[in-house]
Amino acid sequence: MSPVRGADIACLEGDPAYDVHWPWKDGALSPGLTCVFRLKNEAHNLPWVLPPMLEAVQHVVIVDNLSDDGTAEVAQKVADECGAGDRITVTSYPHRVSRAGSEHLATRPDSVHSLTHFYNWSFSHVRTAYSMKWDGDMVLTREGVSILRDLSWQLEDSNAVVAVPRHPLSVESEQVAWLDLGFRFLEPWIYPMGPEFTFVKAFEWEVREFPESTTRIVAPEGLCVELKWLDRDEFAHWSDMDFDTSRAPRKRREWQVYSALRDGRGHEVPGLHRIESPPGVHVVDHVTRTWLPRAERPLVRRKGRLEV
Amino acid sequence: MVDAPTPSEPPAQLVDPAPPERRVVFVVGSGRSGTSTMAGALQTLGMTVPAPEVAADDTNPKGFAESQWVVDFHDELLERTNVSMADARPSAWFDTGRLNNFEPLRTRLHTWLEEQLVAGGPELVVKDPRLAWFLGVWRSAAMRSEAEAGYVTMLRPVTEVVGSKQRVYDARTSEVHRTAAWVNMMLHVERSTRGSARAFVRYHDLLDDWTVPVFGLGQRFDLDAVKSASANDIRKVHQFVDPSLRRVALTWDDIEVPRRLRDIAQETWEALDKLPDDGGDTPEVQATLDQLRAAYAEMYDEAQALTRSTADAARREGAREQDAGASRASDKVPHSVRAMVPPSVRRGLRKVAGRERG
Repeated sequence: MSPVRGADIACLEGDPAYDVHWPWKDGALSPGLTCVFRLKNEAHNLPWVLPPMLEAVQHVVIVDNLSDDGTAEVAQKVADECGAGDRITVTSYPHRVSRAGSEHLATRPDSVHSLTHFYNWSFSHVRTAYSMKWDGDMVLTREGVSILRDLSWQLEDSNAVVAVPRHPLSVESEQVAWLDLGFRFLEPWIYPMGPEFTFVKAFEWEVREFPESTTRIVAPEGLCVELKWLDRDEFAHWSDMDFDTSRAPRKRREWQVYSALRDGRGHEVPGLHRIESPPGVHVVDHVTRTWLPRAERPLVRRKGRLEV
Repeated sequence: MVDAPTPSEPPAQLVDPAPPERRVVFVVGSGRSGTSTMAGALQTLGMTVPAPEVAADDTNPKGFAESQWVVDFHDELLERTNVSMADARPSAWFDTGRLNNFEPLRTRLHTWLEEQLVAGGPELVVKDPRLAWFLGVWRSAAMRSEAEAGYVTMLRPVTEVVGSKQRVYDARTSEVHRTAAWVNMMLHVERSTRGSARAFVRYHDLLDDWTVPVFGLGQRFDLDAVKSASANDIRKVHQFVDPSLRRVALTWDDIEVPRRLRDIAQETWEALDKLPDDGGDTPEVQATLDQLRAAYAEMYDEAQALTRSTADAARREGAREQDAGASRASDKVPHSVRAMVPPSVRRGLRKVAGRERG
C-alpha cells in the first residue's frame, strides 16, 4: 500500500489514518498553548490531573492508547464538568506502542508501534503555536496553573522551550503519601510548534528536537507532582528493569524509592518525605494546595541535570 | 469504566481558629489613569499601603499610594531585564515574564509580602505603574502567603493619557511612542489578568462618583475595609478624591500619530471600555483584544524592520562609547604598574573589554 500523498511522515504500515500531517502546513497556528496527553489506563488520575490543566492552557488533546478503563470517557466527562468540553479533543491511537527501553530501540521510528511516531502523530493534532507534552499522572499545583497561564501568552513568538521540574508523589493511602525531594526530575515539556521541534528516536525513548540557539527556561520547583500509586505496578511499561544509571538516573531513583516503600523502608531514603493530610482532605489535594506552597525553598537540595 | 476517585472540594481545610482572610489588591494600568486615586481611596478606607511610601510631588499632590520598596524592587527588575517602564515592545513581556521562573526572586518577594501582611494587616494595596510587568511573581507571592489576589485595572481614554497641552519640539515622536506604550501596556495587562479575580474601573466613573466602583470592588474582592467602612472613612475619601483631577481632556484632533497606530489604539480603547460594564468582560471582547494584540505586534515588527538602521547605528555608537571608556580606564594606570600584570591576566582583561589583539 502506498502512503497518502501529502503525508509529512508516512507510517511504515501504510495506514493513512496514522500518517502524520503537520498543522503548520495548513496555515498560521492560533496563539496559545495546547497540552497533549498520551494516555493508557489513567482514568483514576484524571480527576486530579485534568481540572488544573484545563485552567492553565487554551486546549487539551487526549490521545487514548488502548485503555480498557474508560480513560477517554472519563476525560470528556471531567472536561464537561469543568465547563471546558469545547476545549478538549479526545482521539484514539489503537496501536500497541513499544515499551521504553530495548523494545523501543528495536522498533523503526516511522512504525505505528514506535514511541517516536506515536508522539509525532499525537502532536499533529495541536492547532496552537505552542504545545506541551504531559503525562496522565502529573498534577499541577496552584502555582503551576499560574505559571502556565502566564507562559501561554508570554511565550508567543519567543521560540523558547521550557523545562518544568516535577516531584514524584507515591500515594500510600487517601491520607498518606511520600514526596520525593531527593532528586531533581527536570526535562523540557513546553515547545513551539514547527518543523524544528518534532520528535526523533533516541535509545530508550523519543526526544523532541530543538535548535541549539533556542532559549531555554527552567520553571521553578513546586509546580507539579507525579502520582505513583503504591498498589499498582508503576514499572509495568518498562521492558528492562536493569537500568543503566548513567543513561536513566531518574528511573533508577524511581525504582529505589518504589522498592523501599514496598518493603516499608521509606524512612531510610534521603530526601523522601512522609506527608499525612488532615482528616477529610485527600493527601493529593493536601500536597498540591497546602504542603508544597508552604514548603521552604529550595525544595530539592541536590543538583540535577537537564534531561533532553 | 472505573469509578474515578473524587478529589476534595477546594479550598483545603484550614486549621482552627481561622485567621483573618488575607487580601491583596493590585492596582494596575497605565500611569496617569487614576491608579493613585484608586489606591489612595482604598488606603483611606483602611487597606494598607506598605510603608514607607513614595512622597507626593507636583505631578501627584495627593500622593502616589506607592510603596517605596515596591518601586525600588520593580526598578531593579526592569534594569535587570533591560525593559523600560513604558516599553512599547511586545517582546518585553517575555523578557520580564522570564523572571517569574527565578526561585530566589519568588522567595524574596514572598518573604517581603508575608512580612507586610503580618505587620500591616490582612488587606494590602500594591500599586506601581511598573507592576504589570511582574504580575506573575506577585501572584506567586500572594499564593504562598495564602492571600486572595484581586486586580483592578484603571481605564482612561488613550488620548487623555498620551496627550499633553504643552507642545514641545519633539511632541510628535513623544506622542507616537507614548501611544504605542499605552497599547502595549493595556493589551497585555488585560491578557495577564484574564481568568483571575479582576475588575476594570473607568477613571471618569471614579471621579464622577467614586462610591459606585469602590463599593463594587469591596463586593467583588470581599474587602473588609470597604464593606465595613465607617462614615468618617467615607468622608475622608470624599475629601481625597478631587473631581477636578481630570485636567487633560484631549481627542485625536490634539494628537498626531500615524493612522494605523491610531486605529489600533482607538479600537483597543473601545474594547477595553466595555469591560467595566456588568457582563462586559466576555470571551467576545477578549477575542477582539487578542486580535488587536496580534495586529499591534505585527505593526511593531514592521516598524522595527523599517528602523533597523537607526537601531544599528545606536548600537555602534554605544559600543564605541564603551570602548572609549575602557580605553580611558586602562590609560590611567601607569605603565610600570601595567607591566606588573601577568600577560595571561592582561589577555583576559583585554578579552573582557572586547579589545583582543589579532
